[in-house]
Amino acid sequence: MTSERIRVLCIDDEARILRALKALFRDHEVYTTTDPQEAIRWASAHDVDVVVCDQRMPKMQGIEVLREIRIAHPRAMRVLLTGYADLNAVIGSVNEGEVFRYVNKPWDNTELRHIVHLAARLSREAPVVADGPVSDAEKEQARQHVGVLVIEDDPDTQQRLREILQSHYQVRFATTAEKALQVLEQQEVGVIISETALQHGDLTDLLKTLKRYHPHIATVVVTDRANAQVAIDLINEGQVFRLLLKPVRMGSCRLSVDAAVGRYWQLKQNPKAARRFVVAPKPEAQLPSWLSGGLLQRIKQLPERLGWRSRAG
Amino acid sequence: MFEILLLVGCAVLGAMVVFFYQREAKARADLVQAQADLEKLSASQAQVIHTTKLASLGQMIAGVAHEMNTPIGFVKSNVEVVSELLGEYKQVLDKCIAAFDTIHNLDLARPEAQAAVKRVLPKLRAALAGDTRLGDSRELLKDSVDGLVQISNLVKNLKGFARVDSDGMDLMDLNDCVESALTIAAHQLRDRIEVRKELGQLPKIRGVASQVNQVLLNLITNASQAMGDSGSLTLSSRRNGGQVEVEVTDTGSGIPEEVLPKIFDPFFTTKPVGEGTGLGLSIVHKIVTAHGGTIKVRSAPKKGSSFLVSFPIDHALLKQQV
Repeated sequence: MTSERIRVLCIDDEARILRALKALFRDHEVYTTTDPQEAIRWASAHDVDVVVCDQRMPKMQGIEVLREIRIAHPRAMRVLLTGYADLNAVIGSVNEGEVFRYVNKPWDNTELRHIVHLAARLSREAPVVADGPVSDAEKEQARQHVGVLVIEDDPDTQQRLREILQSHYQVRFATTAEKALQVLEQQEVGVIISETALQHGDLTDLLKTLKRYHPHIATVVVTDRANAQVAIDLINEGQVFRLLLKPVRMGSCRLSVDAAVGRYWQLKQNPKAARRFVVAPKPEAQLPSWLSGGLLQRIKQLPERLGWRSRAG
Repeated sequence: MFEILLLVGCAVLGAMVVFFYQREAKARADLVQAQADLEKLSASQAQVIHTTKLASLGQMIAGVAHEMNTPIGFVKSNVEVVSELLGEYKQVLDKCIAAFDTIHNLDLARPEAQAAVKRVLPKLRAALAGDTRLGDSRELLKDSVDGLVQISNLVKNLKGFARVDSDGMDLMDLNDCVESALTIAAHQLRDRIEVRKELGQLPKIRGVASQVNQVLLNLITNASQAMGDSGSLTLSSRRNGGQVEVEVTDTGSGIPEEVLPKIFDPFFTTKPVGEGTGLGLSIVHKIVTAHGGTIKVRSAPKKGSSFLVSFPIDHALLKQQV
């Protein structure tokens, strides 16, 4: 990192939290405010590297502040720091805030320092991918190249996704982790749409591991097993791109998958930007046995088979 | 002919006996079934009441736990940071002490030594005077004490809802119950509802404080749910003759007129299936009447509702207090 001090912007309606954070990050240049509007102005005015924002505030919710800052100053990495793990806030922090980490209060000092330090480094070193629309020609190109993999064993949802997506994308369906990996080995997949669990069991470890080794793939989780903690882990350990609740709605589903394909396409042109989506990895020893064996090796070997690096040039 | 008649008569009689016997048996079986159903129903009602209590307990605990996360967050962080700051300050002190030792061992009669001391002393002074770590630590500890007071208040108020240490009737100030319920409900009101308090001086009443707290928490929670994204909640208390009254007024959706007579009935609810059990207000009603009190409601659709709870002042007690 450049020798310049890290610039951190902290927003909370509780002044004592702000003083605590200022003391915690005393080696950095810290800006603190209880006023969300001021925060949105300051983010770009001070060219901050990292934003640490509370969720529940009287004038504006944290995810709205982060969404505005994402638009005004996309270079900054966003961290939500909250005492309330309610599902709507978690979903909003994914879909609107695109947060780097979701941290619960009370936080762990060492961990929060580490997160801010890592975020600042990525914010300075990794380029930002544009948020704007991709041109029609590029969209068409992306559609031809990029596969969408659906991991889902509920026939109704499968059918619904087929109706919504089949005419727009090359969609492949998998009902098990093994089949999903076969698809990934066979073709270039840019977007994975997945439940958090199948009848056979949990899928989140698979999604997190895939993201860990292939950060350019965008994950869209569509679930009716909504649970705030699972969602938080999917952010921190899986950098999930979008989180949708069932029943699947045509509009939000199309928008999310379009955005996900766009994101993958941009990362493919600009592979260094994928570093911004680095996950907080679980130790391999904690992975379930069905994943830690051959499947893990196959996941690690995927990029070469995909050949996305060479094509991205 | 007669024999045939007799035979037919016997047959008819037999058939009737069999018929009535069967009907009687069926009726008995129906009765047994009905009894079983009734038992099942009352068991399942008890189950619902129990589940409701657990659910509201769970909600209350979750609310308070959330409420504590903020003060615990900064207190914990501050204490660790202060420990780091003191460690750093100790290093500064150690360096100064080492410098003083060096000075102490100098032969101050020598002019070079005098010059060196003159050069070093202002630097030492500046190092000590310019260090902000002690001042910062003190500020952080001051915030931490505040935070700990906030946490202990929450715990104290929480205990007021689960009085295991007193099973009898306490002497209590209704205003304390209002404050307690407001503290516990803080997380659901914050950022959304403006709270106004108009609490008058009240004589004490006798009752089970944890139950009266529950009554107020329930009324506040209902009010908060009736108000959606914003609104104002007024809590007022006063003495009215031989009664003390507390009134919980919201600016919420109000209660339709046709529903109003039923709101204290057990299992009556207007909430969607799965969201309300319809037990909240019936329990409120039960607690208030058990205390010899009354509860009245006024409501106007789209304007809000107002619940007035009155408790009798124990006159024997009043004489003691006055």
